[in-house]
Amino acid sequence: MIAALTLASPVRRDLLIRGGLALGLVAVLLLAALALPPEGPPVSALSRNLGPSLAHPFGTDSLGRDMALRTALALATSIKVGLFAAVLSTAVAVVFGLAAASHRLADRLVGVATELALGLPHFVLILLIAYAAGGGMAGVILGVGLTHWPRLTRVLRLEAQTVAASDYVAVSRGLGRGPVWIARHHLAPHLLPQIVAGFVLIFPHAVLHEAGLSFVGLGIPPHLPSIGVILADSLRALMAGHWWVAVFPGTGLMLVALTVERFGEALRRAADPTEGVA
Amino acid sequence: MRPLSFLALAVSLSLPLAVEAAPPLVLAVGGEPETGFDPIMGWGRYGNPLFQATLLRRAADLSLAGDLATGWSLSDDRLTWTVTLRDDARFSDGTPLTAEDVAFTFNAARDGDGLTDLKVLKEARATGPLTVELELRHPQITFTGDLATLGIVPKASYGPDYARHPVGAGPFRLVEWREGEQLIVAPNPYWYGPDIPFPRVTFVFGAEAAGLALARTGAAQIVAVPPAEADAAPEGMQVLHVPSVDNRGVMFPMRPAGGRTAEGAPIGNDVTADRAIRVAVDQAVDRTALLALAVNGHGAPAHGPADGLPWDNPEDRLTETGPDAARATLAAAGWTDADGDGLREKDGLEAEFRLVYPASDSVRQALALGVAEALKPVGIRAIPDGRSWDEIGRLMHSEPVVFGWGSHDPSEVFNLYDSGFAGRGWYNPGFYENPAVDAHLAAAEAAETFEASLPEWRAAQWDGTTGFGAKGDAAWAWLINIDHSYWVSDCLDLGPIQTEPHGHGWPITQGLPGWRWTCE
Repeated sequence: MIAALTLASPVRRDLLIRGGLALGLVAVLLLAALALPPEGPPVSALSRNLGPSLAHPFGTDSLGRDMALRTALALATSIKVGLFAAVLSTAVAVVFGLAAASHRLADRLVGVATELALGLPHFVLILLIAYAAGGGMAGVILGVGLTHWPRLTRVLRLEAQTVAASDYVAVSRGLGRGPVWIARHHLAPHLLPQIVAGFVLIFPHAVLHEAGLSFVGLGIPPHLPSIGVILADSLRALMAGHWWVAVFPGTGLMLVALTVERFGEALRRAADPTEGVA
Repeated sequence: MRPLSFLALAVSLSLPLAVEAAPPLVLAVGGEPETGFDPIMGWGRYGNPLFQATLLRRAADLSLAGDLATGWSLSDDRLTWTVTLRDDARFSDGTPLTAEDVAFTFNAARDGDGLTDLKVLKEARATGPLTVELELRHPQITFTGDLATLGIVPKASYGPDYARHPVGAGPFRLVEWREGEQLIVAPNPYWYGPDIPFPRVTFVFGAEAAGLALARTGAAQIVAVPPAEADAAPEGMQVLHVPSVDNRGVMFPMRPAGGRTAEGAPIGNDVTADRAIRVAVDQAVDRTALLALAVNGHGAPAHGPADGLPWDNPEDRLTETGPDAARATLAAAGWTDADGDGLREKDGLEAEFRLVYPASDSVRQALALGVAEALKPVGIRAIPDGRSWDEIGRLMHSEPVVFGWGSHDPSEVFNLYDSGFAGRGWYNPGFYENPAVDAHLAAAEAAETFEASLPEWRAAQWDGTTGFGAKGDAAWAWLINIDHSYWVSDCLDLGPIQTEPHGHGWPITQGLPGWRWTCE
C-alpha cells in the first residue's frame, strides 16, 4: 500500500488524500448525529445568546441551544439529504443515459427532457417540486433529488454512444458476443468512473440546495436542526451582534461542500483517460 | 419595499425635520389591512379605525366614553339601545353625520359577511336627526363593544370602492395609500375634536428590517420592534414596552379521540381529554423561563384569556405549581411510569401528544419548544410540530396548538369557551363544553349593565366548583402575555397608553389625535 502510494501519480495521490478527507468528515458527522438526540440540544432560558466558550465552543442561540451540537446535527441532516438526493439523481441519470444509448427514440426523449430541465432555473424547479410534494423533509428530498440528474445524464449519454459506436464493440459483435457481454466488458468500465465522479459531484450541490430550501422556509420544520433554518434565524441574531450563530454553521456547510467537491473533482480527473489512471 | 424607494423615502422624509416645529410623523408599525379601510368589512376591530368616528370609545383605562354619542341607554327589556348623537360631527367631505348614517352602518354590518359579527342586531332605526335606536334579537351586553369599534360610514357615498377611499368623521382623512408601501393621512379639518399638531402622518409598511433602518436613520418617529431587538434603541429614541392582553397559550382538544368534522378533520385526543394532563401542563411550565425564551423577558405570565381586565377572575389560579406538583397531579390520576422509560402511561396509553405551532411564528415556536422541555422531567412527551395555518386548521380539533388571543371585549371569552362555538372557526376548536360555564356566559350577556355582567364572566372562569380556568376544566394552559415593544422618538409625547389587544402595531395609534411634539 505504501509502495503503491509513493509510486502513484500526483493525480492518484490527490484522489486518496481528498477522498480520505471527505469520507472521514462525512463519517464523523453521521456518527456524531447517531449519538445525539435527533431533535437537537434542549432549549434553555438560562443560557441564551452566549458567545463561544469552553462549555459552548460555537456559542448558543437565542433559545439557549448549544450551537456546536446543533451545527453537527444540521450538517448530518444536510449530508443525509445530500446522499439520498445524489443516489436518486445518479440512478435517474444512469437509467436515462443507458436508455439513450440503446434506442433512437429514447435518445430523442431523453435529450428533450434534459434540455427542458436545464432550461428552467434550477432553484425554481426545486421550489416547484418541493412545493408540489407538500414541503417538509419529503419535499426537500424529492425536490433536490429529482433535479440534479441532467448534467450527469448528458455525460453518460455521450459516453455510452461513443463506446457503442466504437470499432472494438463492432469487433466484439462480429465475434458473436451478446449485448450483456458487451455492456459488462466495454460499457461498464467506461461509464463506472463517470458515474462515481458524477455522484460525488452532485452531493455538494444537493447539500447547498437543501440549505437553500430550508432557508426560504419550504424545507425542514424550523425547530429541527438544519443549516438553512439556522442561517435564516441568524439574520436577526446578526443585527444584535451575535456573529457566532451564523459563522460556525456557515463555515461548516462550506467545509463539507468544499471537501466533497474537491474529492469529486479529483475523481473526475482520475477518470479522464487523457489525464488519469483509473 | 425596494431598497431605492426606501432610500428615497428616507431622504424625503428626513429633510423637513430640521425646519418645522411639529413635523410630519412617520410610523412603521405594520398593521396594513388586507381588505382596506371599510369598518363594515372589519377595519378597526383591533386598535382604532382612524378615519371613522365610533359611537363610543375606550379611554386609556378601557372605560367607555362617548365619542359620537352624547348619551346612550339600554331599555328595561335589555333589547333596545337608544343613542343620541352630537350635532357637530361632519365627514371629511364636509357633509354632516346624522342618525341615518349610523343606522345604515349598523344594518350594513349586520348584513355583511366581513369580520364584523353583528348577527345579534335585529334592526337599527333613525328615530330623529340625531337619535338612533338599535334593537337586538336577544340581550347581549357585549354589544357595547361593537358601539366602540364600529366606525360610522356615510350612507350617501358608501359604495364598493369605499374600502380604498374611506370617508369618515374621525380625526384623519386619507391622502394616499400605496398598497404594501405606505399610507399617508392628514388631519380631517371637519373633525370635532381638538387640533392635531401634525400636518401629515405616514404609515410605512413592509419588512421589519426596513422599519428598523428608518428608525436608525432618524426618518421614523415610532417603530414597532421585535422584543429580541428592542433594547438597543438608536440615538434620539427610547424603548417603550406597552403591556398587553396579547396572550399565548396551549389550546387542548377536550374530547376523547373519535369522530370527524364536516370537513373530515379528526376530533379529539385521548391524552389531552384527561384533565390531569392539562393541569399538569399548566403546573409544569415555568412562565418566567418562557418569557425569557420567547420574548426576551418583555411580557408577563398569563393565567387566563384576559389577565388584568375587569372580567378576569384571579381566583382560578392553581395554588400548587412547579414540576413536583405536576408529578403529584399525574400520579394521583393514575399516570405512572411503570416501564421506566421516563414517559408516564395509563391503561396502556402513553402521555404523549404533538404540540402544533405555526411554523412562520418564532415566538410560538419558542413557546412550543419551551413547554416540551418543561414537560420532559414530569414524564409527558410533547413533540413540537411546525405547520402552516392551513394545516393547523385541520389539526386543531385533535392536537394541542399554541394559539394567541387578547381583546378589550369579553365577548372573546364567550367565543373561546361557549359550547355553541365548539368546532366553529378558530374560537373553540377543542370542543370545550361545560353546561355550567355556558350558563354563566349566557347570564353575563343577559346582564343589565356592563358592570353587572362582570361577576358572571368571572364565575365562568371559576365559580367555586367549576369553570374554564385552571382550577376547573383547565381547557387552555395560558402561558404569556406579550409586551408590545416600540422605539419612540424622544420628542414625541404619547400621553396615557392603553393595555393593547392582540396584534402588534396598529393599536398604538389609538391615542394618535392626542400625541404632542415636545421639541423645538
